[in-house]
Amino acid sequence: MTNLSAVTVEPPRGRAGWRSMLPRWSPKLGVGLVLIGLITFLGVVGPFLVGDPNTIRDISLTAPGGEFWLGTTQTGQDIVAQLAHATRGSLYIGLLVGVMATALSALFGIVGSYVGGYVDEGFSLFSNVMLVIPGLPLVIVISAFVPADQRGSWTIAVVLAITGWAASARVLRAQTLSLRNRDYVAAAKVSGEKPWRVITIEILPNLLPLLASQFVFSVIYAILSEAGLSFLGLGASNSSTLGTMLYYAQNGFALQRDAWWWFVPPGLIIALFGCGLALVNFSIDEIINPKLRDIPRRAAAEAVRVPDPVKRPDDDVVLTVENLSVVYQVENPVHAVKDVSITLRRGEILGLAGESGCGKTTLAYAINRLHRPPAEVTTGSVTFHDLPGQDGAGDDVDVLALTPEELRAFRWSKLSMVFQGAMNALNPVLSIKAQLEDVLTTHRPEMTKAQRKAKCEEVLKLVGVDVRRLSSFPHELSGGMRQRVMIAMALLLDPQVMIMDEPTTALDVVVQRGILREILRLRDEIGFAVLFITHDLPLLLELADRIAVMKEGEVVEYAEAQRMFERPAHPYTRQLLDSFPSLTGERGSFVRSGEQMTPVDRSGEPTPSGGVR
Amino acid sequence: MTTLEARELVKDFHVRVGLRRVRLRAVDNVSFTLTPGRTVALVGESGSGKSTIARMIARLEKPSDGAITLTGPDGQRVAERRYRDNVQMVFQDPFASLNPFHTIEHHLARPLKLHGQPHGWEDVVQLLERVSLPGRDIAGRRPHELSGGQRQRVAIARALAPGAKVVVADEPVSMLDVSIRLGVLNLMARLQREENLAVLYITHDLATARHFSDDILVLYKGRVVERGPADDVILNPQHPYTKILASAAPNPEARGRNVDIDPADVERAGAAAAFDHNTGAWEEVPT
Repeated sequence: MTNLSAVTVEPPRGRAGWRSMLPRWSPKLGVGLVLIGLITFLGVVGPFLVGDPNTIRDISLTAPGGEFWLGTTQTGQDIVAQLAHATRGSLYIGLLVGVMATALSALFGIVGSYVGGYVDEGFSLFSNVMLVIPGLPLVIVISAFVPADQRGSWTIAVVLAITGWAASARVLRAQTLSLRNRDYVAAAKVSGEKPWRVITIEILPNLLPLLASQFVFSVIYAILSEAGLSFLGLGASNSSTLGTMLYYAQNGFALQRDAWWWFVPPGLIIALFGCGLALVNFSIDEIINPKLRDIPRRAAAEAVRVPDPVKRPDDDVVLTVENLSVVYQVENPVHAVKDVSITLRRGEILGLAGESGCGKTTLAYAINRLHRPPAEVTTGSVTFHDLPGQDGAGDDVDVLALTPEELRAFRWSKLSMVFQGAMNALNPVLSIKAQLEDVLTTHRPEMTKAQRKAKCEEVLKLVGVDVRRLSSFPHELSGGMRQRVMIAMALLLDPQVMIMDEPTTALDVVVQRGILREILRLRDEIGFAVLFITHDLPLLLELADRIAVMKEGEVVEYAEAQRMFERPAHPYTRQLLDSFPSLTGERGSFVRSGEQMTPVDRSGEPTPSGGVR
Repeated sequence: MTTLEARELVKDFHVRVGLRRVRLRAVDNVSFTLTPGRTVALVGESGSGKSTIARMIARLEKPSDGAITLTGPDGQRVAERRYRDNVQMVFQDPFASLNPFHTIEHHLARPLKLHGQPHGWEDVVQLLERVSLPGRDIAGRRPHELSGGQRQRVAIARALAPGAKVVVADEPVSMLDVSIRLGVLNLMARLQREENLAVLYITHDLATARHFSDDILVLYKGRVVERGPADDVILNPQHPYTKILASAAPNPEARGRNVDIDPADVERAGAAAAFDHNTGAWEEVPT
């Protein structure tokens, strides 16, 4: 039996469930919550502590101080008391509108897009119409239409909710459209869940952060709009809100009489409350889009390296990586690459094989110095041995010691890279030609237009793409074509080394075969060296000259492909080889009866082999 | 003996190109039978319609034409509302097919409950143990705390929960690390033997298709171009497209070979008549 309990569980990538719905603690969130808390306290508890806000006294427009902390109005009413009641009124409306607008947007956004078809078209059209109706004028018209004596807080709230939900509905619709195509929704359907349960149990929880953010936004919108309406005299009658306070301050000529204590406090509360909600919204946005989170920066800048290139053993070597270690400097530092040494010869295809998380991509990035904090090269060196120039000896370049300007010149012209899923890295709004020429104008500003065009055509021909495709846009090309264009782009500056990170993984085998053939042909014609990174060991055994097998950051076996195929030395290499059943040969460790399962977490013991070998 | 028969399945999608609506035939007259204890592999490249067939069998898409008939042990057609008790699906991407918000227990208890089975904690733990997972340890966790292989085992357990007799596995291992793929496939083979399941295995990998299944159907652009017993189709391919597919697969024993595949050849090969190893005859191309 397989002992799976011993399988190392990868470290949690994030929090899930309810806890993931809570924003992470940050100063922004703290300030926002304190602001909201104080103002809510004023609105909820305040009215019980202060006197009647409507008591008229004969002390008109007293400046703050003494009995009245914030002074009095024209008719001698206590500003503090008025403020407490007005805040309560505004919060009440904000909350009502928030709940109603969120419910409306959820109904039209989520249900519509889940059901799809004509319902979705109809709901979507309706939200779009609501969206283009200018909100404030409509609110003014509706408020003015309702007789003043019937214009309570609820009326205003309903009017604001009706005009304020459409934008959220569109956002929710877009998100639901993406969620409803997720496999887990399909899986829930296959297991027989009813539609309403799919929506409420499977989809809704994953929308919670978005709903919360839309709710907060509606509350801000409601409080501001209500203040605006009341200021125009169209607000709720016989209610007091921050807007009505401003309205009376305006009518009492507070500004002209320099009675700042009358209009500044309500204005300030509106501003601070809006600010607090916006800050909380930032934190909610970070849950929806984790990329917005502040990445912890390194405390100290990396020490400036003194160039220390490794001596070239002979002219055949183009790249030497020596004892390279890369560490992700997070709370528990992760050694992604441990003491790796490899050499790349001219015209050689060096395969780098390993499974996800073995550090192969991190290594590729470090060689190109594309690694970002928190990744950091702790030890070792990467030396590029340039082609000998006219004077006979080429430079040995310590890549890790290059200045940013030198690095920019070095990348792409000496060493280029084809990224994982690169075919999706093309800019969809620019033609192939514009994107290829862009590289040339940046790196070879001295080239004329005709030269650039000729070079672009040359590289496209090299990778076997019809030159007429030059004016095409990326979406007009198939995946294989796009991948070829990316390789062409990496060829533009005649690099001596090309790093390819899973260049064919996303492609069909027939298409992959075509690209591999191009790579081999280009290697023969141009003579560049390729570092080919993939998880597909059989592919490397067929294609590469030498292979390095990586496991948990270390190179466990580094040998000629032929030798590795015939006599794999390390148990992990054998395990990887056994994992690919042979197409035409024996079954290898694949036992269909299911009785003799090879343990998943092999402790390094050699497994009964056969199969590919 | 629960048997699923797909007869002359057709699926058309309507795509808007500019103002016109163009009909795109994703699946074209595909027929096969899934019988208990046997695995049928659908092999093809992206766009060959293999996932669409899986989704039609899982009742996620409606066939434009043709019929999917499920026959129960009594020889009677299984009622529509019992269909999902019998036919379940394992999805390709275990990172997407489990809801990040819910625990593993939720993922298994729901289908158990929906199909009228005992659905307590112990039942969930038992189900997890059947797919060789430490149930007690895992049931309370959430998907992100599990590795890819563990998640796929949970997904397999979920498909078995309703007591399904027919399982559609849509590229069940293509998103997993190579060293755990065979473990998952072996698990499926063991469960198939224990439960006498009928399995439809969908893949683009000829090698696992050969070793994991009894019969292979090679698809090209929605059409079956070659069908027959697994070893016959792979070791003795007759159809030009199957030959191209086999030659394109990486082969360490053929170092330094130069395979040149012209896309036009592929298209021409795909258009050829279909070959059936069972009858040993070429079939007419339906026009």
